[in-house]
Amino acid sequence: MKTKFYAGVATLALLAGGASAQDLIVEPGTDGFNWDSFEEFSAAHDFSGETITVTGPWLQPDAGMLRNVLAYFEDATGATVNYSGSDSFEQDIVIAVQANSAPNIAVFPQPGLASDMAAIGALAPLGQETADWMIENYAAGQSWVDLGTFANPDGEQEMFGFFYKVDVKSLVWYSPEQFDEMGYEIPETLEDLKALSAQMVEDGGTPWCIGLGSGAATGWPATDWVEDMMLRLHEPEVYDGWITNDVPFNDPRVVEAIEAYGEFVRTDGWAQGGAEASATTDFRDSPAGLFQIPPACYMHKQASFIPSFFPEGSEFGFDYDFFYFPASSERDLGEPVLGAGTQFAITNDSPATRGLIEFLKAPIAHEIWMAQSGFLTPHTGVNLDTFGDDSLRAMNEILLNATTFRFDASDVMPGEIGAGAFWTGMVDYTTQGDAQAAADAIQSRWDAMR
Amino acid sequence: MSPILQGILTIIIGVGGCVGYFYASNLILDKFIFPARGQHAGRNINRANKVRPWLFLFPAIFALSLYLVYPVIGSFYRSLFDRSGMNFIGLGNYFDLMNEGTFRTAVFNNMLWVLFVPAMATFLGLLVAQLTDRLSWGNIAKSLIFMPMAISFVGASLIWKFVYSANPDIGIINSLRDFIGLVPVDPIQVSFWNNFFLMFILVWIQTGFAMVILSAALRGIPEETIEAAIIDGANPFQVFFSIKVPQIMGTIIVVWTTITILVLKVFDIVYTMTGGNFGTHILPSYMMTYMFRDDGRATAVAFVIMILVLPVMVWNIRQARKEMR
Repeated sequence: MKTKFYAGVATLALLAGGASAQDLIVEPGTDGFNWDSFEEFSAAHDFSGETITVTGPWLQPDAGMLRNVLAYFEDATGATVNYSGSDSFEQDIVIAVQANSAPNIAVFPQPGLASDMAAIGALAPLGQETADWMIENYAAGQSWVDLGTFANPDGEQEMFGFFYKVDVKSLVWYSPEQFDEMGYEIPETLEDLKALSAQMVEDGGTPWCIGLGSGAATGWPATDWVEDMMLRLHEPEVYDGWITNDVPFNDPRVVEAIEAYGEFVRTDGWAQGGAEASATTDFRDSPAGLFQIPPACYMHKQASFIPSFFPEGSEFGFDYDFFYFPASSERDLGEPVLGAGTQFAITNDSPATRGLIEFLKAPIAHEIWMAQSGFLTPHTGVNLDTFGDDSLRAMNEILLNATTFRFDASDVMPGEIGAGAFWTGMVDYTTQGDAQAAADAIQSRWDAMR
Repeated sequence: MSPILQGILTIIIGVGGCVGYFYASNLILDKFIFPARGQHAGRNINRANKVRPWLFLFPAIFALSLYLVYPVIGSFYRSLFDRSGMNFIGLGNYFDLMNEGTFRTAVFNNMLWVLFVPAMATFLGLLVAQLTDRLSWGNIAKSLIFMPMAISFVGASLIWKFVYSANPDIGIINSLRDFIGLVPVDPIQVSFWNNFFLMFILVWIQTGFAMVILSAALRGIPEETIEAAIIDGANPFQVFFSIKVPQIMGTIIVVWTTITILVLKVFDIVYTMTGGNFGTHILPSYMMTYMFRDDGRATAVAFVIMILVLPVMVWNIRQARKEMR
C-alpha cells in the first residue's frame, strides 16, 4: 500500500514537473544574427539554479515568441525564466503588488500604470547606466528614456522602464490590387489623403473602414486617430502638454484635432456604414471590408498589429500593403510617428533579474523575436535582415526614420482618462458630433480626479 | 514544488486541520476545562455542553467575519480616501458621485433594471410554469426555457449581440425593419430603449430560474382547493389568479427578490454589450470603470450598491424563512 502511494506521488511529480527545457528556435551560428552579442553575454553571466518570474499582457502567440527569446537567456545563464501572461494584466499586477507577491519583472503595456506603480515604490530603478545605454542605442533614445522615467515615492525622477517590443500606429492599410485597378496613388500629404477620400466617394466607393468596438474598451481606435491628428496639426509640445493636462482637454487645439478625426468618420459616405455603424463595429472585424470584392472600403487606419486579424492566407504586398499616415503639408511639423510599446520593469529585484534586463540590451534578444513576427524595435544595433517578413521591416524603417516619435497619449494619461473618459468621449463624439461637448466632458472628469 | 503536490498538500493540511481542531478542542474542553469527574462532574458536563456549540460554530463565525464583516468595514474605510489611497478626504468621494452626471444616469438605469427585470422574469416564469403544467411536451418546453441558465452572462451577451446586430442579414430587429422597408438602425445606440434591450438578455437568462421554482410551488398546491373552486364554478382565470397565485405568493416574492439582488450585482451584460456607452451604465458597470484606478471612488460606489441591496436582502431572507416554516 505504502509503495503504491509513493509511486503515485512520484508519477504526479513527474507529470507536474516534467516541462522540458525549451529548444532554441534559431540554431546558434545561423547567418545574419548577432551571435557575438550572445556569446559575449553568455560568457559574462552565470545564474545557474536561479528562477525569474515574468508577467505581462502577452498571450499566445506572443507569449510563445517571448518564451523563444527567453530560452536563449536560459541557455546562456542556466537560469529558469517563467513567463505568465494575462489578459487582465493591468488588474493582476496591482493586486500582486499589493499582496506582496509581485513577480521579478512586469511587462507594462501602459506607462500610466507603470508610473502609478513607481509612485508607490513597487518598481526598482534601472539606473543611469541603462538610461545612457538607451540614449546611445535606441532611435529617438531620449524619448524612450523619458517615457520610462517616473517619479519615485520621494518625488525624484528615475528611469524604471526598459522598452522592448514597440508598435507603430501611424499606418494606413490598403489593398494594392484595388488601388491599381482604380488608378489611385499613395497620398504624400494629409491634404492629398483627404482629396483621395473625396475622389473615392466620387467614384462610387467608400474610402474608409472604421471600427471603434472593443467590448468594454470601445472607443480606443478613435483615440489613435485624434492623437495622430494632434501630431499633424500642432507642435509636439502641445501634445506633451495635452498628456499632462497642462493643455486642457477642451482647449481649441484639441477640439480641432477631434474634429479633424470627425472629418473622416462623420463626412457622409466616407466611413463604411456611417458614423453610427463605426461606433459599434468591432475593430477586429472592421478591416474585413478591404478584402471584399468589390471592396467595402479602400483604406483602414490601424496599428502594426492589425494583420493578425486579416483573413487567413492574406499576403503582404499582394492582398494588403500599408503606407505612412501622411503629415500635413500646410503645417511644417516634419514626419511625426505615433506608437506604443511595452516596457520591462523590475518589480522584485535580484541579480538574475538585472541580468535579464542586461540580456535585453543584446541585439540577439531583439533579432530572435524579429525573426518570428509582430515585433518592432527602436534598437539601432540590430540586423534588419533578420525580420521574418518584409512588412515588419518596412514598418521598422518608418519607426527609425521618424522626426518626432510620440507615445500613444491615451496610454500615458491617467487611467480614468486614457482608458475611460477619452474612450467614452470619442464614442459620444462619433455618434453625436459635438466635439466641444465631448472634450468638456473629458476635462470635467479630469478635474474631478483627486 | 509542483502545483499538483501543492494542491494535494493543501487538501491534506486543510482536512486534517479541521478534524484536528474539533478533536483537540473537544478534548481540551472535556478533559481540562470542564472535566466530567470530581465533585462538580454534573455541573461541568452541563457547562461543557453550553460551550460546545460555540466551539463548533467558531470556525464558521471566524471565517464569516474574516471574509464578510472585515471587508465591509475595510471597504467603507477605503472609500474615505483619494485615488492615491494616502489622503483622507472624508465623504468627498460620495459628494463627488452625487455631482457626477454618469453616476446619476447609472442610478436611474439601475432603477429601471430593478423594476423591469425581476417583474418580467417572474411573470414570464409563472406564465410558463402554468402553461406547461399539463402539456405532454411540457418538460421539453421547460428544458428549452431553462437552457439559457447554463450560459454565462458574457456568453449570453455575445449571442444577443448577433440578435441586435445592425446588419439586416444577422440582426433580427433589423431584418424585420428591412422586411417592411425601413432603414437599419443600431438598437444598442437607441438611447433609453437600449437599456431595455440589455435588460431583456437578463430576463431571457432568469426566466428559467423563476419557472423552475414557481412550477414546483404550483405542484405543491393541494388539489382539494382547486377542485373545490372548480366545483363552485370558477373559470380557469379565477382558479389561477384567486386560488393558485395567493397560495404561492411567498414563493413569488422569494423569486422576485432573489432576482432583484442579482440585478443589483450584474455588470457583465452592460460591460460586454456597450461598455457603458450610449447612456447604458448601471451601478456595477460604473464601479468597474473606477476599479483598480481609483479605489476610493470604486469602493464608494460599491457601498452605495450594498446599501441598495440590503433592504431587499433582508426582505428576501424573511420571506424565505416564512416559506420554510
